[in-house]
Amino acid sequence: MMNKLLATLAGCVRPGALRALAFGLAAAIAATTLPAATPASAHGERSQQAFLRMRTLNWYDVKWSKTEVNVNEEMVLSGKVHVFSGWPQAVAKPDVAFLNVGEPGPVLIRKGAYVGDVPAPRSFSLQVGKDYEYKLVLKARRQGRFHVHVQMNVEGGGPIVGPGEWITIKGDMANFTNPVTLLDGSTIDLETYGITWTYIYHFAWMAAAAVWILYWFMTKGLIVRYWWVKAGKANELITVREKRIGGLWLAATLLAVLFGYAWANSAFPRTLPMQAGLLKGIDPIALPAATVTAQFKGGSYTVPGRELSVKLRITNSGTEPVKIGEFTTAGLRFLNPSVFTTRPQFPEYLLADRGLAVSDETPIAPGETRDVTIIVQDARFDIERLSDLAYDTDSQFGGLLFFFSPSGNRVGVEIGGPVIPRFAAGATL
Amino acid sequence: MSISTEAGAPAGKAWKSKEEFLGCVMLTDWILLVVLFAVVLGSFHIHYMLLAGDWDFWIDFKDRRMWPTVAPIVAMCFAAAVQSFLWQKFRLPIGATVACLALLTGEWINRYDNFWGWTFFPINLVFPSALIPMGFWLDVVLMMSGSWLVTALVGSMGWGLLFYPINWPVLAQYHQSAEIDGVLLTLADLIGFNYVRTGTPEYIRMVERGTLRTFGKDVVPVAAFFSSFISMLIYFLWWKIGTWFTNTKYIEVDDI
Repeated sequence: MMNKLLATLAGCVRPGALRALAFGLAAAIAATTLPAATPASAHGERSQQAFLRMRTLNWYDVKWSKTEVNVNEEMVLSGKVHVFSGWPQAVAKPDVAFLNVGEPGPVLIRKGAYVGDVPAPRSFSLQVGKDYEYKLVLKARRQGRFHVHVQMNVEGGGPIVGPGEWITIKGDMANFTNPVTLLDGSTIDLETYGITWTYIYHFAWMAAAAVWILYWFMTKGLIVRYWWVKAGKANELITVREKRIGGLWLAATLLAVLFGYAWANSAFPRTLPMQAGLLKGIDPIALPAATVTAQFKGGSYTVPGRELSVKLRITNSGTEPVKIGEFTTAGLRFLNPSVFTTRPQFPEYLLADRGLAVSDETPIAPGETRDVTIIVQDARFDIERLSDLAYDTDSQFGGLLFFFSPSGNRVGVEIGGPVIPRFAAGATL
Repeated sequence: MSISTEAGAPAGKAWKSKEEFLGCVMLTDWILLVVLFAVVLGSFHIHYMLLAGDWDFWIDFKDRRMWPTVAPIVAMCFAAAVQSFLWQKFRLPIGATVACLALLTGEWINRYDNFWGWTFFPINLVFPSALIPMGFWLDVVLMMSGSWLVTALVGSMGWGLLFYPINWPVLAQYHQSAEIDGVLLTLADLIGFNYVRTGTPEYIRMVERGTLRTFGKDVVPVAAFFSSFISMLIYFLWWKIGTWFTNTKYIEVDDI
């Protein structure tokens, strides 16, 4: 059976077939390796499940200090993040989190990361239900146009990507420097520090390995040695002289290792182990008690119209009347045009400046409780794949609803709850 | 290259002259060497990337506990297997060195082309662990002793113990420290912090963790001894795997 199979296979392998196979292989290798790699322009945020993006971290007040920088120039990415109270059970709580940047490789390096006023080069804990202020100081490194996001990595939850903006970096990466002052007062350029020595050290050892291999290979090769072993003469293959050479080779190696170790200790007498462990002292923003509450009374998502309808019972316990001005979720902002008369600065693909409608636009007076329906409708809801909410295993939405008073005060209220998908056009809540 | 046919090579009538026969043998030797090197490079590289992974990829994973424990153990697998093949079939004391050189060749191609060439991570963030002297040690111990048992015991012990001292001449410079915003960081930490890895958050680093606190700051020797002991077991197992996987009996066919 096996012989028949082999014979059949052998029959298929004709010179023409082999040539075609070789040509195809070469073409495949060329096609996958020769063209310049196209830089990634997005970071997969749309591929994350809708409920995860809506009900974990609600990003707001995100600002990029510049959208055009030169190599070596710094910019700041800052904003606030609300840790959603209804954090989904499917995702680990943010007991260990890390403030990160979503970008295609280190096109901007992270010179500083702060949560509140606390430097955060390592991981920290976030409290559910609280708000945090963050700031990332970024320094341009590689020329080009890149999509740069704020991002929070949560252990057990993965990366949670915030809004992104296109940043243009001008200049030449060859001019980039990253000066760092050491504890001993000397300054080094971290961009290139130690690289030449690393090459020399590694390639010297690799060259020595090649010498060792070729020495043995050149004495009798492989085939002849195999014949000798088969002939029962294996023990005659390595001579006393070769053993002596091997011993000397090893002695020289160990001496080199000892010397290298001693040299490193004398050249760098003050070394420390890497610093690890959870950072403490990261406090949430001390927000005043909310003067507005919004009680969820039901919701639906109409798939054909890309329309999220939410019923809310709103109570204004403040001293000023308020209007609903904005709903933000998963980095998208849906604005009520009756409140936002000018378009705020924010990435176009995330800003639906007419995306929020309210059933009753009259301001909610102090002390008043009113039932309203808000309608969130924009193509961005679908483009950013939040409409997948209709198909999620945990079909609950979440986000922040912002109320505005005539004096300009803003009150953010967390809203969220289950939504019922409606697959027929015109279906109502 | 000096070769001899006294062991009974089938020179036969397939060759016009002895010179042509010898040339054919030498050419085949070179082809075999290149193929062997490429096969070990590819397979060992995949194995090492999957099992040593981040500890070998990044400077801020190369700590005093986990890295010197994990990396030698994982590297021992192919070193033992290739040594088994080259020693038993050819009596060549170069198996571990071939494995280490092949791995490092693949790693340097990967680190330079992919990590630096495509993603622009600086080389001081992504250089691999040095392994070559460990390969020399294992090969010479096998050559001197002629025994895989002795090599497993003595060779593996040196294999694990040598790892950190071999790497220290490059690593030491990155364990100098700097104060950044009032936080103490080694240069290794700082490189990892500065050069953003979107998919590799800081907490994923499994460094300096464990309950080994009795020996003060001197945790490397203990980690190295532990690594050596496990490397012994790995050596025994992978020597046998090397034997099993370099056997022609699986493809023997009666009519060939």
